[in-house]
Amino acid sequence: MTVEDDERIRTAVKLALEAEGWQVEEAAGGEEALESFEQRPSDVVLIDIMLPDIDGFEVCRAIRRNSDVPIVMVTARDDTHDVVAGLEAGADDYLTKPFAPKELSARIRALLRRVRPTEPGSAHLRFGDLEIIPDEGVVRRSGVEVHLTKTEFRLLVELASSPGRVFSREVLLERVWGYDYFGDGRLVDVHVRRLRTKVEHDAANPRHVVTVRGLGYKLQT
Amino acid sequence: MSFAFGAAVLSLLLAGVTYGFTRQNLLKQREAAAVSQSYTNAKILQSQLSQTDISTQQLLQDLTSLETPTGSRPVLRATDKNGTAQWAQVSTQFGEDAIPAAVRREVTAGRAAKMRYRLGGETELVIGLPLPSVKASYFEIVSLDEVQSTLDSLATVLLGAAAVSVLAGTALGAWLSRRILRPFTEVGLASEAIAGGHFSTRLDADDDPDLGVLVTSFNHMASALESRIDRDARFASDVSHELRSPLMTLAASMEVLESRRDDLPEGPLRSALDLMSADLQRFSQLVEDLLEISRYDAGAVRLELDEVRLPELVIQAVSSYSSTEVPVELDAELAGVVVRADKRRLVRVIANLLDNAAKYGGGATRVALRRVDDRVQIIVEDNGPGVPADERDLVFDRFSRGSGAGRRSAGSEGVGLGLALVAEHVALQGGRAWVEDRPDGESGARFVVELPVATP
Repeated sequence: MTVEDDERIRTAVKLALEAEGWQVEEAAGGEEALESFEQRPSDVVLIDIMLPDIDGFEVCRAIRRNSDVPIVMVTARDDTHDVVAGLEAGADDYLTKPFAPKELSARIRALLRRVRPTEPGSAHLRFGDLEIIPDEGVVRRSGVEVHLTKTEFRLLVELASSPGRVFSREVLLERVWGYDYFGDGRLVDVHVRRLRTKVEHDAANPRHVVTVRGLGYKLQT
Repeated sequence: MSFAFGAAVLSLLLAGVTYGFTRQNLLKQREAAAVSQSYTNAKILQSQLSQTDISTQQLLQDLTSLETPTGSRPVLRATDKNGTAQWAQVSTQFGEDAIPAAVRREVTAGRAAKMRYRLGGETELVIGLPLPSVKASYFEIVSLDEVQSTLDSLATVLLGAAAVSVLAGTALGAWLSRRILRPFTEVGLASEAIAGGHFSTRLDADDDPDLGVLVTSFNHMASALESRIDRDARFASDVSHELRSPLMTLAASMEVLESRRDDLPEGPLRSALDLMSADLQRFSQLVEDLLEISRYDAGAVRLELDEVRLPELVIQAVSSYSSTEVPVELDAELAGVVVRADKRRLVRVIANLLDNAAKYGGGATRVALRRVDDRVQIIVEDNGPGVPADERDLVFDRFSRGSGAGRRSAGSEGVGLGLALVAEHVALQGGRAWVEDRPDGESGARFVVELPVATP
């Protein structure tokens, strides 16, 4: 589903995405998008930040309350504030206008990718009170299931694939989001922040998802 | 300091004038008193002399009976029957010899005289009055030393007062100047802060009504500046939004067309599509570059500073943005070198340099990264005609393509913003960019970007 108030952009993007083989639902505003999503949930939602009724961040938060569907934010400005606010509202990725629909298509494919099949024996990972079952998409903290979005889950599993190893932001961008070297490190930072609020007891003093200054992140027990 | 000096001059002047006046007045009064006393005494003597015969004893008796409230010492010269001058004096010290000759002469000649003079280290006033009816002369010698000592203590007091007022003046001056200059110091600091990009800097309100005006107008200026910068930044961002929307439609539509490009027959339709596609890309890039530049002009650039491993970034950027294979040479000392930089902008810098080499230098031939002391240099060389010495600064100007603009080959569509952005990006990250000749003597340009190494 693409949520965009500019009819020409909406139509052109729909045409281009359809040329790439996707089926596209349209919504001209936030209310319409939420209604339509409730009736027929899409696999991916594309939201423009500037909407006439409810702004894109709010739409994003509303969808996030009930769904872990991948969300791509579209901004007309690449200023940090918009990007970070969008990601914190729950978006999985963002694009800046004008983007090539081919690029969008690649982003969507990356977001819909399944978690890489894990090696045998690693079906059940434990990090202290944290328990990850990659094949079932389940994470438990002290025995209680934690709800993660698909992207957060992929990020956690990626970090868990080599416990204690430091993953640079570039590596995580490539493995989780499918970006090349030039992806935006803020994606990783904000997602790590989101992940911590869910899997850590104290997100301000993380025990599991740890920052290694100047290098990246690692997962430890 | 000037305050102290002013206070010193003023108080010394006042002290001097006061001293002068007082001295004059005191002396005058003293003299007037002495003179009138002398006249009185002279009259008494005259009447006594006219009645009695003159003998030295008698004279002396008469003299001692005189009243001398002013502390004067009377001296009498009388002529006896034989015409011999007789001197009588009360004090042995002040006699005939103590009276200056000039005064004696005057009085003997029948004229009253008065003279101030120094005797034995003290100031004396002598008043001489002729008593012609009894052929005598009467003198009084009055000591002015008493006045002098009064004056001396006055001078001491005045000097003391002057010293106190100099000290007070200095202290007051220091306090006042600090108080008066404080607002200016604050204005200076605030101006520096504003010039440094902290546009919301304001001065605190001041109680002093005189300074209040300065504070108000300064804050007013700062607000005007801030709102103007905000407006410019908002304009850049609004323009960005307005231009990007139609570009978005164009880009998406173009992709639909391009996906069917092969359905089009060879010929004008396909060529037109290719032209449109190429120029749409160029247009998008131009809009992006203009927006980036306008962000600089509006002071709205926010760097996303990160610790960047430069060798990795350069290798990645070269492999992504160069259409040809370009060798990348890395200095051995560079292992683990980290710069604090905005990754996106740094990649843009390298991409623009490669792009520039492709457009005007026939493609980059070598990219090198080396360390020079606490700086790193990114070097991009090409095989082109190079940049003439007098154009080396100009190439970094906006919309400048040097004299090489005419030499542009078909398909090399520069708009002249690429190098300007290189210069801006690099300067904002504390580095600099320049162009020079290739050191190996071959023809071609060598662009150098120098950045400081982050301190670990």
